Amino acid sequence: MLKFSGLSGALVAAAVALASGSAVAKDIVLGASVQLTGPVANTGRYYRDAYQLAVDKINEAGGVKVGNETYQLALKLYDNQSDVNLSVRQYTQLVSRDKVNFLLGPFASNFALADSAVSEKYQIPMVQGGGASDQIFARGFKYIFGTLAPASNYFGSTIEMMKGLDPVPQSVALLYADDAFDVSVAEGTRPKLKAAGFTIAMDERYSTNATDFNSLLSQLKSKNVDAVLVAGHETEILNFVRQAKSLAVAPKMYSFTVGVPSEDFRKALGKDADYAFGMAAWLPSADLKDRWFGDAAQFASAFKAKFSYDPDYHAASGAADVEALVKAIEDAGTIEPAKVRDALAKVKFESLYGQIEFDKNGQIDLPQTVIQVQGDALVAIQGVHGKIAPPKYPMPAWNAR
Amino acid sequence: MTALRIILILAALAVLAAVPWFGSDVLIQFGINALLLAVLAQGWNIIGGYTGYASFGNSVFYGLGSYGVAIAMVQWHLPFAVGLAFGVVLAVAFAVLLGIPVLRLRGHYFAIATLALAQVMTAIVSNVELAGQNIGLVLPPLNNDRLFYELSLGLLVLVTLTVFWLTRSRFGFGLIAIRENEEGAEVMGVNTTLYKTLAFALSGVFSALAGGIHAYWVTFIDPESAFDISLNVKMIIMAVFGGPGTVLGPVVGALSLSAISEFLSSEVTSVAGLFFGIVVVAAVVLMPRGLADVFRRFRKTGWRYFAENIRAHRL
Repeated sequence: MLKFSGLSGALVAAAVALASGSAVAKDIVLGASVQLTGPVANTGRYYRDAYQLAVDKINEAGGVKVGNETYQLALKLYDNQSDVNLSVRQYTQLVSRDKVNFLLGPFASNFALADSAVSEKYQIPMVQGGGASDQIFARGFKYIFGTLAPASNYFGSTIEMMKGLDPVPQSVALLYADDAFDVSVAEGTRPKLKAAGFTIAMDERYSTNATDFNSLLSQLKSKNVDAVLVAGHETEILNFVRQAKSLAVAPKMYSFTVGVPSEDFRKALGKDADYAFGMAAWLPSADLKDRWFGDAAQFASAFKAKFSYDPDYHAASGAADVEALVKAIEDAGTIEPAKVRDALAKVKFESLYGQIEFDKNGQIDLPQTVIQVQGDALVAIQGVHGKIAPPKYPMPAWNAR
Repeated sequence: MTALRIILILAALAVLAAVPWFGSDVLIQFGINALLLAVLAQGWNIIGGYTGYASFGNSVFYGLGSYGVAIAMVQWHLPFAVGLAFGVVLAVAFAVLLGIPVLRLRGHYFAIATLALAQVMTAIVSNVELAGQNIGLVLPPLNNDRLFYELSLGLLVLVTLTVFWLTRSRFGFGLIAIRENEEGAEVMGVNTTLYKTLAFALSGVFSALAGGIHAYWVTFIDPESAFDISLNVKMIIMAVFGGPGTVLGPVVGALSLSAISEFLSSEVTSVAGLFFGIVVVAAVVLMPRGLADVFRRFRKTGWRYFAENIRAHRL
């Protein structure tokens, strides 16, 4: 009898536990391994902070509604010490031991390439905002989604703008550094230029960290090129502009993949930065509406207030990753990984980062905003929704400024 | 070697081989990584521990092995085994071509010359179309961690048996003679250039095989990660921690340091790097001749062993 009552007591206790279990707010755990130490920790922190901020904000707003239930988000984060092997193990640990529900990505393409194999193996969706390489999405994986704009489309919006310039540039030069990223930029830009009907007068690769652009600039001058598109790094572009001035090479326009949005870059060039076109993957503007943060400007100020530094596109992309997962979970009405994966493939919403929508490979296609230095100001020329402000074009000769 | 010892080693091996059948996925992945590092440390032991040439060029062999597999599989669509063989051919060719001039240098000069090799290789491979330039190569994924684990374990057994053979062969004695006194060895009739080149190549073969397995397992390589000099530093630390110039020292060193590093990085995730540094510094101060020496002498001297080391090196 005693035995029996003990057993039934246990049953009752179990039943109570089960019943109360469903009443308590449950957690959806998002797992990530990011670079908090090591050589790329400086960029890794954007992801840690953006993930945390987005998770907190969504919880504040009441959490995630799945069917009739409300869940809170929780974040499980590891430091991969900028070591690819360790990050693969940590992702395996997240899905197999910590049993997280969904994965957020690391920073950098080589990490995303290795780590996406883990999400694919365990069939847990990973939304990553740190790897832009087309290779990540060319492997036919079903569980990887990316929110960084593809390298191949960096000059897309610039070419769009060039078509509307008066007079239309006749010949274009494409110059690019020889690293993986800039080579992909060039490979994507070439067909776009041809499709738009521009003549490619020069198509030259230079070595990364080059300091001497004299011969390239002389060629630009002798071929009388109208528009110059440069994919490279900040110091190379500084040298390029300085040497263009000293050789008096002034095409009708030039545009650079990096540098122009950075204040240090514009300070270093002073007045010579004027007329330079550039691009930004993301600007904290109030035009980008967001369900949780209001808009991108409010996101930027909330981020700055909490972490005391300004967010850049890495941070916005990271926050968008969390939002994309939440949106997909709500659309799917379940936390079952396979169903959320299908919902992610169909997701389409406005966020602080821009329109979130994945192509069938899982990559976002977000056009860059064209920007130009005009006097002391940095002006957005052409954005997601078309023209914003008139460009200053053509660029005058150096001695006529 | 006593029968008891052999039984103990075989038992340990059986347990290691069985890990994929009872261990968690994380443990298997950790195992693959630790075993490959042990192969690298043991490979370095041949040139660094036995021959006395502190090579910083072993990560080049590792990279060549990685690229051998990647090029064969991605560009030529050949099977994995052919890729491994191709990597080994590359490594041996490299060891012979560069070993002959570089191995003439001694001490610091040799270390510095090999230090530059990894960087040179990065620059060369970045411009080779076949190797994917600096974009790298993406290999087809193979979700079979058990296979990778057993391959790594098999390779570790192979390299350890090779080192064991060294300790009782004419070739191995020649290498030790070179380490102890190179002029003396030459006078005694050891063909030092040939011996050193062979040791360098042998060391390279195992590093290349480890690199090849790793490339297929991680499914992505680029010049930076393939010719990573910090990997070379790791193998030296592990070999020295365990005891260079001993048969089992580098293996024990690699496995124990990997375990410590893994434990720290998952338990105290943000300051793990710092703790790991402290472990290495403490090891150098307290046991500069490695774990193998501790096991040998600790029974006799007890805790005084550590104090004596500190005194002997005036720290």
